[in-house]
Amino acid sequence: MPYALCFLLFMIGLYCAVVKKNLVKIVIGLAIMEYAVNLFLIMLGYRTGGTAPILDKTYIEAGTNKIVANFINTSVDPLPQALVLTAIVISLGSLALIISISIRIYGKYGTFDITEIRRLKG
Amino acid sequence: MEQEQQNSNTMQTGKISNGTKGMTVIVKTVSSWVKVLIFLFGINIVLFGHLTPGGGFAGGVILASSYVLLMLAFGREFVEENLPLPLASKLDCLGAFMFALVAILGIVLGGSFFLNFLYQKYLPGQPLHLVSAGIIPLANIAIGLKVGASLFLITLMLSISCKGRECRFE
Repeated sequence: MPYALCFLLFMIGLYCAVVKKNLVKIVIGLAIMEYAVNLFLIMLGYRTGGTAPILDKTYIEAGTNKIVANFINTSVDPLPQALVLTAIVISLGSLALIISISIRIYGKYGTFDITEIRRLKG
Repeated sequence: MEQEQQNSNTMQTGKISNGTKGMTVIVKTVSSWVKVLIFLFGINIVLFGHLTPGGGFAGGVILASSYVLLMLAFGREFVEENLPLPLASKLDCLGAFMFALVAILGIVLGGSFFLNFLYQKYLPGQPLHLVSAGIIPLANIAIGLKVGASLFLITLMLSISCKGRECRFE
C-alpha cells in the first residue's frame, strides 16, 4: 500500500513534467519525481516495528564495548539510507544547473512559455 | 516624507538601516541576532556527524543557509563585502583539497587509499565520545566546508546575474 502511494506521487510529477507549459512548473515536476524515487528506496529497508539505526548508551553493554544483540534484530536497514543521501546530493547539483539554464533562457527570450521558445538563439 | 521616516527609524533603533535595499527594520534586527545561532547549529551538526544524524552534507547546507538569510534581509552588496567572491572560492578549494589530503595520507602512512590511520593505537577514544571514529570527523569537516562554500557561491551568482528582465552575463 505505501508503494502504491509512492507510485502515485511519481505519476503526479510525470504529469507536471509532460503537460505543463511553464518552464518553472516543469522543473518542479522533475523535483517531485526525484522525491518519489528517494522515498521508495528508503521504504524498501523498513522493518515492522523497527527503531532508528542510531547507537545510543542504551545499546552498549555496561563495562565492555559490545553492542547488544537486540540492536541488529530490531533496527531498520541503514544501507538504503546511506545510498539515498548520495542521490539527494546529486539531485541538488543537477537542480542548480537546470535553474541557472532556465534563468538564461528567460534572459534570451523574455518568456517562460515553452511554446514560444522555438528557435535556437545564440 | 519617506526620508524623514527613514531618519526617525535610524534615531530610534540606533542602527544604520539603509532604507532602500533589503527588508524592514524588524527583519534586519532579528536576523542579525539569529544568524550566529544558525551558524553555530551548522557547526554542531558537522562536528558530531559520527554520533548524531547529519554529517558533512547536511551541516554544509545549514552553514550556507545562514549566509542566504543575510542576503535576503540586507541585500547582496552587504554580504559580498563580508565574504567576498575570491575568499569563498578559496574556501571551496580548501575543503576539496583537505578531503583529498585525508585520503592520500592513508596511502602514505599505510597501504591503501582511505586507510584509517587514526585507529585505536594512536588516538584512543571511547565509543560515543567526540574523539573517536578515526578519520571520519576530519572528512566531515572537509565536506561541510566545501558544501557550504559551494551553495553560498551558487546563490550569490544566481542573484548577481538577473535583475528583472535584464540578464547580464559577462
